[in-house]
Amino acid sequence: MSQVVFSSWGRNVVDNRSGGEPKEAQFRLPVTFDGERPLKAFMGWDGLIVFNRDTDVPAMVAEYMKRVQLLYCCGKCTPGKKGTRVLMDALQDIVSGRGSEALLSTIEDLTDLLRNCKCTLCQSATIPVLDAVKHFRDDFLAYISGARKPQPAAYLDKLTAPCMDKCPAHIDIPAYIETIKEYRFNESLSVIRESMPLPSVCGRVCPHPCETACRRKNVDEPISIMVLKRSSSDNEWQRKHEPPMQPKPRKSKKVAVVGAGPAGLACAYYLALEGYPVTIYEALPEGFGGGMIAVGIPPYRMPRHLLQRDIDIIASMGVEMKYGVRVGQDITLEDLKKQYDSVFLAPGAHRSKPMGVEGEDKGYQGYLKGGIDFLREAYMGKPTGMGKKVVVVGGGNTAIDCVRVALREGTEESTLVYRRSRKEMPADVWEVDGADEEGVKFEFQVLPTKVIADDSGKVTGVECVRMALGEPDASGRRRPEPVAGSEFVIECDTVIPAIGQDPELSFIPQGIGIDITKWNTVVTKYIPLKDVAGKDLKDGMGNPLSRVLITDCEGVFAGGDAEIGPLTVVACIGSGHRAARVIQRYLEEGKAYLNEEDLIEDILTNLPVYDKDEQVPWLDTGKRAHQAEVHGRERASLKNYCEVELGFTESQAIREAERCLRCYRVAMVAI
Amino acid sequence: MVKLTIDGKNVTVAAGATILEAAATVGIKIPTLCWLQKVSPTGACRVCAVEVEGVDRPMTACNTPVKEGINVTTQSEKLTEIRRKLLELLLVNHPLDCPVCDAGGECDLQDSCFGLGASRQEYSALLEKRPIRYDWKLLESDPNRCILCEKCVKVDHEIVGADAIEVVNRGEATIIDTHDGAPLNCEFCGNCIAACPTGTLISKPFKFRGRPWTFNITKSVCAFCSAGCQIEYHARDGRVERVTSEDDTYNSGNLCINGRFGYSAFNAPERLIIPTVNGAETDWESAVSTAANRLKGIVTAHGPDAAAAIASPRLTNEENFLFQKLMRVAIGTNNIDSEARFGYAPAQALLAKNIGLYGASNPIDRIDTAAAILVFGCDLNAESTAVEYRVIKAATKNDAKLVVANMRDVKLTKYNHGRLKYRPGSEALLVNGLIRAILDAGVEDREFIAKYVSNLDALKESLAGISLSQVAEATGVPEKDIIESARLIAGKSSLAIIFGADAMRSTVSADCIAALGNLALVTGCLGKEAGGLFPIDEKNNAQGMLDMGVAPDSLPGYHAGNAAAVFETAWGAKLPAAPGKDLWQIVEGIEQGSIKALYIAGSDPLAAFPNNRRIRKAFDKLEFLLVQDSFPTESAKMANVVFPASLAPEKSGTFTTLDHRVQCLGKAVNAPGLAREDWDIFAELYGKLAPASVITGPEQILTEIKALSNLYGGECSVVKGRCQGAGKRGFALKEGLSFVPVSAKSADGGDYQLLVGPILYHNGTISGWSANNLTVAPEGYIAIAADDAGRLGIAEGAAIRVTSSAGSMTGPARISKALQKGLLFAPHHFRGLNSNALLEGSANLVTVKVEKG
Repeated sequence: MSQVVFSSWGRNVVDNRSGGEPKEAQFRLPVTFDGERPLKAFMGWDGLIVFNRDTDVPAMVAEYMKRVQLLYCCGKCTPGKKGTRVLMDALQDIVSGRGSEALLSTIEDLTDLLRNCKCTLCQSATIPVLDAVKHFRDDFLAYISGARKPQPAAYLDKLTAPCMDKCPAHIDIPAYIETIKEYRFNESLSVIRESMPLPSVCGRVCPHPCETACRRKNVDEPISIMVLKRSSSDNEWQRKHEPPMQPKPRKSKKVAVVGAGPAGLACAYYLALEGYPVTIYEALPEGFGGGMIAVGIPPYRMPRHLLQRDIDIIASMGVEMKYGVRVGQDITLEDLKKQYDSVFLAPGAHRSKPMGVEGEDKGYQGYLKGGIDFLREAYMGKPTGMGKKVVVVGGGNTAIDCVRVALREGTEESTLVYRRSRKEMPADVWEVDGADEEGVKFEFQVLPTKVIADDSGKVTGVECVRMALGEPDASGRRRPEPVAGSEFVIECDTVIPAIGQDPELSFIPQGIGIDITKWNTVVTKYIPLKDVAGKDLKDGMGNPLSRVLITDCEGVFAGGDAEIGPLTVVACIGSGHRAARVIQRYLEEGKAYLNEEDLIEDILTNLPVYDKDEQVPWLDTGKRAHQAEVHGRERASLKNYCEVELGFTESQAIREAERCLRCYRVAMVAI
Repeated sequence: MVKLTIDGKNVTVAAGATILEAAATVGIKIPTLCWLQKVSPTGACRVCAVEVEGVDRPMTACNTPVKEGINVTTQSEKLTEIRRKLLELLLVNHPLDCPVCDAGGECDLQDSCFGLGASRQEYSALLEKRPIRYDWKLLESDPNRCILCEKCVKVDHEIVGADAIEVVNRGEATIIDTHDGAPLNCEFCGNCIAACPTGTLISKPFKFRGRPWTFNITKSVCAFCSAGCQIEYHARDGRVERVTSEDDTYNSGNLCINGRFGYSAFNAPERLIIPTVNGAETDWESAVSTAANRLKGIVTAHGPDAAAAIASPRLTNEENFLFQKLMRVAIGTNNIDSEARFGYAPAQALLAKNIGLYGASNPIDRIDTAAAILVFGCDLNAESTAVEYRVIKAATKNDAKLVVANMRDVKLTKYNHGRLKYRPGSEALLVNGLIRAILDAGVEDREFIAKYVSNLDALKESLAGISLSQVAEATGVPEKDIIESARLIAGKSSLAIIFGADAMRSTVSADCIAALGNLALVTGCLGKEAGGLFPIDEKNNAQGMLDMGVAPDSLPGYHAGNAAAVFETAWGAKLPAAPGKDLWQIVEGIEQGSIKALYIAGSDPLAAFPNNRRIRKAFDKLEFLLVQDSFPTESAKMANVVFPASLAPEKSGTFTTLDHRVQCLGKAVNAPGLAREDWDIFAELYGKLAPASVITGPEQILTEIKALSNLYGGECSVVKGRCQGAGKRGFALKEGLSFVPVSAKSADGGDYQLLVGPILYHNGTISGWSANNLTVAPEGYIAIAADDAGRLGIAEGAAIRVTSSAGSMTGPARISKALQKGLLFAPHHFRGLNSNALLEGSANLVTVKVEKG
């Protein structure tokens, strides 16, 4: 909530210009743009917000429409191409004193006609313009009568879309979908690669937060954004096209990256494109690059040859891969600091968390170290220590991967134990369903309390207690509580705890100047953005919203799970990409900072761009397309790691792409 | 099916249909401007806005799928106003040069403004003039006239696959241009011109030739490649001034450079217009009498087999029929053959013997819907662009899996899922490798084989001796790629196998064709609704010519000598009993002096045939050379008598496409000067040689063809004034077929091998007389791989000399990424370069020596 001079945001008009008791408006914006410069005004698809009474609304609106027409309008529909040009000229005429009042009627008329636009870019841009004409008419008339002249002002703008904003890597989703619709898969992939260097991965295993912010959902069902990304990626591979990227001429300053996971690979990719020599240090041997994607996501979800193809492409751009080198063991961080102009830490979060139950620390045979360790060993073909009856504890994707891999590794019974209900599982629904189809047993609302072993120290079972929801606590949330007397034993020979991972940061020497949080993540610098109540703005993980990704140690940057906390591939890629930009600025200008584009990006994400309550007028004809899938238990037979999901056919992809509403919109701030 | 209501009418359509399509089924026409049926919907103009009850904004009918139970309104005051205002917006700064605009009178924007009542202008914006592209070849672009409907871009990308133009810039400055602003460099098919609703993209050669409504429009058939695209000639004052094709044609209005622009050959100043005898111009009576007397004299002195003839795939069916009849009846010899001898005819004979197939097994539109396609040894882009468009459509719109087997990278490579870049000469082995991989994987069509083929074991046995690793070694194709391609084409619901000159004129062609026949049987690609087996010939009537008995060993309808009695009765003459000489035997006969008279119609052996230095020497020995042609060809220059002949737009008759569609030509203009239709010339000469005959015209000849061939029959089906094809018996799959074991070996070439073949910008040698084609591709060149050029120190454009045992040529080098090491390519269209002279026989590949020129 903010106090404003004027706001029409959310189609809710708050006008405090005439004095009286100030009314509050609803939106989530920081009071400053960058921690220092105050926001004077903000305008976009959902209205106009004026913080500072001195804001020249007609001039700002004229500038906004000019930018929409000259910079963003794609020109691909009549009302957009021509209409915004007529609007731009009309507004320019007004603020340059050549206008007449009739132009205000033309603006209103065109705003109505632009409802017929092909997409929302130009159409949504008329909304704040019309609000301005309606509520600031006197200011326009002052220009028309020649009583007012424009003063210099600073504006910043950004093109966004709900999906693009929600994607942690900020992929230009409407553009990659539109190019698919136009049968241009290669161009689509180029758009994707501008923000996502592992398209085959994020076309398959991304939790796709973008789809939760898809405006098509407000009409019928969200676009299958992730699988469309796979379609573009598969097309290049299947049609045997060479990736088109051409790195810029080689530069002299060198960068070391710790970890060949999504954050490290992304950072290396974008720095390599800029011409920087990058060396990635990866603890695992050659053939096992990819970080958590490789060791944490089984091949039936992410075929290895395709992951390797994405990695090979990055290597072919001049990135040196040093496999089997563990930083802190085979080479020290200090050495890297000395040998390179900059170091990016992206070691991931590979240390399994303990369960905290009786018997877990006894060294029983059959009690495995952790889910992620199990998956890694299975993938690398090492003995996992798994037996014939496996119990996996946890509710995330790693737990699901463990029960499914256990089947493929030849266990006879694979059981998942989770303390809450099925629908509360953090794992993706389709992964849980997949496990179900493969014959995994589930024990929901069950808490393990003790690992049971026989005299020889072999696991024979796990004692559990059933859980029920207790009374609502102070926050109103009902926590699961043990039901007295409900204890029972699940017989098994293997227990795999899979309740989460932490970063393993022991390679960072104390005293080097890098701080570690209490959640065992690396501390990086951030922009102190506060809301009107003075509260710090945070991201979804509780980190400061707008982070620069440089540590307190000169030249050392950090990203990915080790900086964010264990999250998703796509979040790590977004983090690695931002790190690459910041590192480039550091190498070229000697200082690490977020530029205006980065700042608006964070501010919009906090706003956010998607509004689940928006009424989207559109005919709800399109059912979401579903990719083909291998069904039946055989798909989880011994050593069958063949891919389960098969992607769209191209014609299916094109039909699905045709459902996209291309929800572009332009935001502009005055500072 | 989905039920809905449009303007109160109940409509039932298939799910997925658009509101526009649904409305059309009940006769409701919703106005459109950017909509083009053959490409994906664009939704740019927005004039097809309709109201759907319950939806709080207008929806565009062209790209909104129907929904059960919706109530659509297509006409209302509000919609009329929206549409009018949208047009007013379109007219903001649209130039008012309609009086001199080439599209004037056939402009969709004019029609829409008139139709939707956009008669005033409420909006205005600052005028920014955008430069007109006068620097493009064959096309001109005036972006000021553009309404950004994107039809051109979509046709270019989705149908042609040239990707030459795109939408560039932002806002009002958005135009259609080349991606880098450089002059247009594309296939110059002009399909974008046809799609353009305004005068933005226009044809340079047509510009200011006249107002569109002043031309006589004649529906006809394209006379370049063998796909037989349906076209319209626009003619005035005896000249064809442009060629178009309507969107409702078999080819959906799509043409290639030859079809759209090749017409300038018809108007070439070099056209032969007066008969000559020994180089002196004369009248027809004297020329025909001279020819008849010379022929009669030679026949009398040396017997009928002292005469021979070379016919042409450019001639109509009726003309070819009459030509062979003339040779067989009026002269009395079976010595007639054609350039089909180099590949198409022997390949056809082989497949006829092995599978009972004469030509393609299915119409070419069944390629569109094939589940998989193998394009083997064929640069479809050059050999039959219209078929290439279908492959592109299948592979991009209908999810077909595409495997391209070619020694060079070709345009289709960019669409392929499987790629087999083999060494020249290893074609047959590669096909055997594919069959082996299919059998190994167990993905052969067992049901088909069980029903139609008797000896799978024999095939397996014949392949037992070869391993995929050997095949990989000899062909240069990695084993995994062979296996991958085998899996892509086999085990599918349908497969199209398309093969061309590199297969039919391979150094191992007989083995290659036999192996392809086996592949067709193993994969069961015959006799199905979709797919099939498709041999491709570069020239329009190769199939029809062979159907007409233009061959030394078969009568019309592929009747062998034992059917001669029927023909003898019909023709009232005794036919020569012994088979005649084929093309190379004719050349030998001339060399040996046994053949003394040669009659060539519509062919130029001295430029268009392989090993033509040998042929030229042979021609020196002829007592009498009679050439009937439209141009002063190399052969015509040597002729004793020259008959000037007509070209396609000056003719009546029929052509037969590679897929057996027999289509009537429309005569658009009269032949220039004294030139006459070939049938007419044959008829007159026939009359002089066998005075009893009376030939009245193509219709009479076609009747005779139908009566005798047992192949052609029925009446033409005519739709909207266009012949959709006369009847021809198609391929009938029979049981009891056999695999023919092929012990394929790989032919070994030297360090350098030259491939000679067609390129996109020309067709045969006719387009070499077309100023339009020559604007784009004026001269021959010799393409060489970058590696080889580097080793030999040859720079782009520098002279390069290539020599074979048959001859040598010097031409500008073109360094090519498409070629593998050791392979050179030269186009065969150019008389100046005469690359054909280097070929030693029918094969299109020859071992050569390469040096700086």
